[in-house]
Amino acid sequence: MSLEINCELQRDKFNLEVHLTALPGSVLAITGENGSGKTSTLDMIAGLLACTDGKISLNGKVFDDSKTNQFVQPELRGISTVFQGGGLFSNMTVEKNVVFGRGAVFKNTPRFDTAIEQFDLAGLLSRKPSTLSGGQRQRVALARAFLAPSEILLLDEPTTSLDAVSRDEVRRAMKTFFETYNGVVILVSHDSTEVSELATNVAKISVSRGESTTATLHV
Amino acid sequence: MKRSLSAPRGLWMVALPAVAIVVVPVIAVFWRTDWPNFLTSISNDTSRTALVLSLRTSIIATILALIFGTPLAWLLANRAFKFKSVVRAFCVLPMVLPPVVGGVALLYAFGRRGLVGARLDEWFGIQLAFTQTAAVLAQFFVAAPFFILVMEAAFDQVDRRVVGTARTFGAGPWRTFVTVTLGLVRPSLLAALVLTWARALGEFGATITFAGNTAGRTQTVPLAVYSQLESGGDDALALSLLMMLVSLGVLIALRGKWVSALRRGGQ
Repeated sequence: MSLEINCELQRDKFNLEVHLTALPGSVLAITGENGSGKTSTLDMIAGLLACTDGKISLNGKVFDDSKTNQFVQPELRGISTVFQGGGLFSNMTVEKNVVFGRGAVFKNTPRFDTAIEQFDLAGLLSRKPSTLSGGQRQRVALARAFLAPSEILLLDEPTTSLDAVSRDEVRRAMKTFFETYNGVVILVSHDSTEVSELATNVAKISVSRGESTTATLHV
Repeated sequence: MKRSLSAPRGLWMVALPAVAIVVVPVIAVFWRTDWPNFLTSISNDTSRTALVLSLRTSIIATILALIFGTPLAWLLANRAFKFKSVVRAFCVLPMVLPPVVGGVALLYAFGRRGLVGARLDEWFGIQLAFTQTAAVLAQFFVAAPFFILVMEAAFDQVDRRVVGTARTFGAGPWRTFVTVTLGLVRPSLLAALVLTWARALGEFGATITFAGNTAGRTQTVPLAVYSQLESGGDDALALSLLMMLVSLGVLIALRGKWVSALRRGGQ
């Protein structure tokens, strides 16, 4: 029972190779220089990018397989995401953001109350994302990811571009979140404190630059 | 000495005529308008018929631009497809084409002996040219490019990460489009609609060529202004003033939003 990735993404002059196995309950941190394909790796898992060659599966369910030409759309993969900047819907209130999609069934349930309390959003529910601070936005994004049932949780540099105070605040929120989370967590991060504090495994994407760039992630 | 960075000398001298050539005619219309009879002028039979007709045709043309232009703009902004630049070039062609040429082209396409029009007449007994439908088509032809261009820019500015997030949380492509994408582009959408409507309302060249100038059927306000002016009637000025007020109203309503919409999708 695990997330299995053996795939390759080929782009013009850029080649990304990912071999990865991650178990539920683990927190895998992916590090690597800018442009090494960290976000692309998350996109392939989420289904926002198809891999050029290879296979991605979760607990034996195939998400993406270039040989059998299978591709499961992102909305059917059961993945929660916290992308850079939070990925909030600026046309909706904080509350609407939190209960978006799979989380909608938990509106007015104890699980919703827990999410609001755990990420300290009680006073923000009717606000629009544009009126929030960076740290508040990330907490909204985390609450949304918490509320929606998922087997994989993907986080893309959740504390980059935050000030030191908000960074601590978001890091604490993640810590509590991960402690009770049963699925696979993959955290892309530049922040070594964050990585050492939250991750159970760390993997670095290695890059070799020549005529074209080849990036490899091996876990 | 003014405490600010100096600009090249004499720019105002050259720039002012550019403003004057627009401002002076506007003032002239206001100045020459027969104010005591303004309301009578725009409410007599000819004027009223033209106004109602203009409103109806321009609103229908705008709705058609919304219905057909939105998917096209989304595809242009989000999908790579063959001949995309050719498709886009054709979409904006009416913006640079003289409207009267557009009217001629429409006539040869949908007129009674046109490429498509001949078949429509033969098979279904439908004749488009010189009907109110033709007036709507002419307005759509000329105004839809504005809608498509503004909306393509708007869709292009929508954060792919945010749309991707909606998908991962369980919203299918359609639900994501309706609840997230459309919500994000709403300011641009409103600007695009107003701009498109204003352009449709002012359409003259393509309409008179393809739909003709029949009072009560295809004579929209700009055509009525032209006819009045030709026949020495008194209403041309009053109707012109009314159009001018509508245009100013549009600009005030948008407050430059469409410029920023074109530039960065109004985000």
